[in-house]
Amino acid sequence: MTTVLVADDDADIRELVSFKLEQNGFEVIAVEDGQAALAQAREHRPRLAVLDLSMPGLSGIDVCRMLRADPETADMLVVMLTARVQEQDVEGGFGAGADDYVTKPFSPRELTSRIQALLSRART
Amino acid sequence: MAGAFTAVVLVLAAVVATTGAGIVGARLWRQARRRRQAELAARPRRHLLAFAADHEAQGADALVAIAEPAWRAAEPGALGLLGKLRGDAHRALAAVFVRRGAAARAMAALHARGRVRRARAAQILGDLEHHAAVPDLCGLLTDRHREVRIVAVRALGRIGEPTAAWRLIAALDHADGLPSLLATHALAQLGPEAEITLSAALDHPAARVRAVCLDALGLLGAAGSAHRVARVLRDDPVPEVRVTAAASLGRLGTPAAVDPLVRATDAAEPVALRASAARALGEVGAGAAVPALAVMLGDAQYRVAHEAAHALRRLGPAGQRALRAAREEPADAHATGSTAAMHAREALALAEIATTAARR
Repeated sequence: MTTVLVADDDADIRELVSFKLEQNGFEVIAVEDGQAALAQAREHRPRLAVLDLSMPGLSGIDVCRMLRADPETADMLVVMLTARVQEQDVEGGFGAGADDYVTKPFSPRELTSRIQALLSRART
Repeated sequence: MAGAFTAVVLVLAAVVATTGAGIVGARLWRQARRRRQAELAARPRRHLLAFAADHEAQGADALVAIAEPAWRAAEPGALGLLGKLRGDAHRALAAVFVRRGAAARAMAALHARGRVRRARAAQILGDLEHHAAVPDLCGLLTDRHREVRIVAVRALGRIGEPTAAWRLIAALDHADGLPSLLATHALAQLGPEAEITLSAALDHPAARVRAVCLDALGLLGAAGSAHRVARVLRDDPVPEVRVTAAASLGRLGTPAAVDPLVRATDAAEPVALRASAARALGEVGAGAAVPALAVMLGDAQYRVAHEAAHALRRLGPAGQRALRAAREEPADAHATGSTAAMHAREALALAEIATTAARR
């Protein structure tokens, strides 16, 4: 079973994304801040992480950079989920090494499709 | 005397004890109520999450069938969820709220006496994207309370009904008008159908209105309005509006923007406008802008030269070739060569960092 890490300080989003991913057969680890995301990523090595860009403490971009800098987690797929839609925010997300970028308000189906597409591309 | 004093002390002690007991009792009651509400909301919340994830028809019926007390307990959280969704998930959940009467209640509350109730109702109708509420929400744009007006603007933006454009623009022109950034985003959310109205408002007598409409056209990517925006850039009597027009042309990214922007970098123009036009030339991404930007690298005005250098960096290989050429230029008697070289070095260093980060 593929493990996905979901990090978002908004409980609604966290629960909704987790629910949708579990329903699609993923194992989900859900956390509410960047520090916990980093710790869980290092401990459980999920295949993919859905990171909120603005979290207390470490932001999604910080977490993504740290994951990329660590050889143990460098190849983890990262999807940024954020309400910030300015071009420089998107550039910042991709600059930090994110593989995809989904803006809030979001569609749970679209997010799941993107995650599945990323995973299948990574497999081939 | 001592008896009277004792009596007063006893009365005061009784008052303190009664008040303390009252406070503790009220807290306990509130805690118990919160617990009860949370328990009541737990089941509908599970249904709501499942429905937001799947939006199957049976799920909608199950949500509509939830008993009123449980729904009331879950509704505030559920409304919060609504604001975080889009697409089919949003439409399906909004339809459930409409079936449960949330839209009708909010429509009535738009005319409530309390400003908090009016603002809350406007927010709910915006989150529901309830198009029928647009005329009433437009009415709130002149509400006597600023916070109500602000929530109404957000709601109109979220609903995205282009016919609201004129009312939003008119509300900008009032004393104690709307915050510009908020209005810009709301106008941009109205979509391409608002372009004609926004374009027409570029002739509005108020400079702030023109500036907001220019920003909104840029955010919309309304390339069809590029010529009108270029006219504002050339002719507007207010320098700040011309600066905004330059930024807007940059966002439009159309080749038609290059010539007007190059003209705006003329040495006779204000520095803020020249710098904004240089930056916009980089955003347009047209190679035709390279020669003009390369000349500006040696500009005596730091802001102009700095923006020109970073615009060249953003233009990719052609721009970076011009930067490398400027980096090698020897300083002339007026040191313009060395100024150009300094700006070129900085921009090239940043380009190198970006390339290295992308490779990682």
